[in-house]
Amino acid sequence: MAKHLSIFVENRPGKLDGITGVFAQNAIDIRAFSIASAGEFGILKTLVNAPDKAYALLKAGGHTVSLRDIVVAIVDDAPGSLRRLLTALGQAGVNIDDSYGFLLEKGKSAAVALEVDAPAKAEAALRQGGFTVLSDAEVYAL
Amino acid sequence: MFWDKRFETMDRQELRRHQLEHLNITLKEAAKSPRYGQLLKERGVSELKSLDEIQRLPFTGKQDLRDHFPYGFLSVPLDKVVRMHSSSGTTGNPTVVFHTKGDLDNWAGLVARNMYMSGLRPGDVFQNIMGYGLFTGGLGFHYGSEKLGAMTIPAGAGNSKRQLWFMRQFKTTAAHILPSYALKLSTYLAEEGLDPRKDLHLKYFYIGAEPHTEAMRQEIERIYGVKAFNSYGLSEMCGPGVAFECLEQNGMHLWEDHYLMEIIDPKTGELLPDGQEGELVLTSLRREAMPLLRYRTRDLTSILAGDCPCGRTHRRIARFKGRSDDMLIINGVNIFPMQIEATILAMPEVGNHYVIEVLKENFLDRIHLKIEVREAAFSGTLPALESLKERIAAALNTELGVHVKVHLVEPGTLPTAEGKAVRVFDKRNQQ
Repeated sequence: MAKHLSIFVENRPGKLDGITGVFAQNAIDIRAFSIASAGEFGILKTLVNAPDKAYALLKAGGHTVSLRDIVVAIVDDAPGSLRRLLTALGQAGVNIDDSYGFLLEKGKSAAVALEVDAPAKAEAALRQGGFTVLSDAEVYAL
Repeated sequence: MFWDKRFETMDRQELRRHQLEHLNITLKEAAKSPRYGQLLKERGVSELKSLDEIQRLPFTGKQDLRDHFPYGFLSVPLDKVVRMHSSSGTTGNPTVVFHTKGDLDNWAGLVARNMYMSGLRPGDVFQNIMGYGLFTGGLGFHYGSEKLGAMTIPAGAGNSKRQLWFMRQFKTTAAHILPSYALKLSTYLAEEGLDPRKDLHLKYFYIGAEPHTEAMRQEIERIYGVKAFNSYGLSEMCGPGVAFECLEQNGMHLWEDHYLMEIIDPKTGELLPDGQEGELVLTSLRREAMPLLRYRTRDLTSILAGDCPCGRTHRRIARFKGRSDDMLIINGVNIFPMQIEATILAMPEVGNHYVIEVLKENFLDRIHLKIEVREAAFSGTLPALESLKERIAAALNTELGVHVKVHLVEPGTLPTAEGKAVRVFDKRNQQ
């Protein structure tokens, strides 16, 4: 199962700097990220090319971080494709906890990263719905 | 003018004779408790020939009450006990104080004496804007004003709209109120377009349970057009009523027919002469269920020199200067930082890196807890963090009885604890 990083961040100016600094100094490539805030603090979720290395570096730097399973699917960059993906998951009874998408090739394809309550079930449902679900190596090579 | 003229104006010599008589009665009764029974036997103390001989007795502290929880200081059989009061929480045993019917009657009598001294009479309407329950502030004044014969409104704390409604509907003339809440309530009255001096019927405020300055008292008097009287008490001695201001408003008469007072150096335990600032030590002279000998209040004050023009012979103590321990008074509720620490350490999801800040917000005290999230327990979801925050706040609320604002912070952002680090920052006086 592919993983992304989930990092606890205080909601204050400059707080993300420490994290992006670690990535920059260690040639970690950020593919995509999302930030969710709950007022004074939030969580930065980010997909990187080397999650285990990034995790170890952040941990050593004193950050509160965890690795979480994600499912990454490829959708067409066309109207209605996200809806099709969500329908497939909904019909399979999969609940999405968190998600973000990013463009791969304009007019052609985009990737959707999903944190769900039942990853294996989600993968099966997506494949059945005709979506490409990426392997770990494919996710990190995006 | 006097509720109990004989005792309030008793000649000093006679008062001292009365004190010695009741000190010896107290010693005899205290010896019936497991703790004092053992202690007095060890020291070979039975009858004292003079008040000064009290120095042969050791001090009693809050820790002793905790160590001999719950009944170690109880001097009467349980079937004579009709009530208990307790400090907040369950950490390291709260301090529990027991009362007989006689204790409650004496206590109500002292509070009635104080309220009468301020001018309150039957026909007055007294609104008790203080928490009821285990905290002695609410029930203490409640029974005192009933004993005096004033109509008592057991309004309880908070809810400005309702407090104002009572004040207007029943023409409240007197109130027991936290000084900080009096200021907060005044902003509500202003919002409602009311002038408390014209639109209300207030004459007397009893302010206590938390430290406040003379300037704050005068501000309250100005806003409400009342006389605001300082009140002092502690649950170990009964509750409010131990010392109170007369119309002179210059120091609080400590009722020496009920309590024997000493002022000591909190570091050495040495007795200090009148006028010198130190820690107030009290021996109860009339308490039945749980008499306490040389109890260290941890409150810092001094005995005022000279006679009071009001005619009362009981010596006055000065406005309190603070505490000789780390107890925090949060909107009248007594809290020890140790309670916060124990609550936090019982939760595996958070580390022991935390800082407590106490601030004034809209006139009221507010505890802020900044705590680092432990990396090992971090699952990486926002709902889990929010739930953790709520659980910390709920656990603290259960332990302390006050609401604490919890702030989750990143590891390494709080000062590192070296040795016995200062974790409590009381910023109320810097604001």
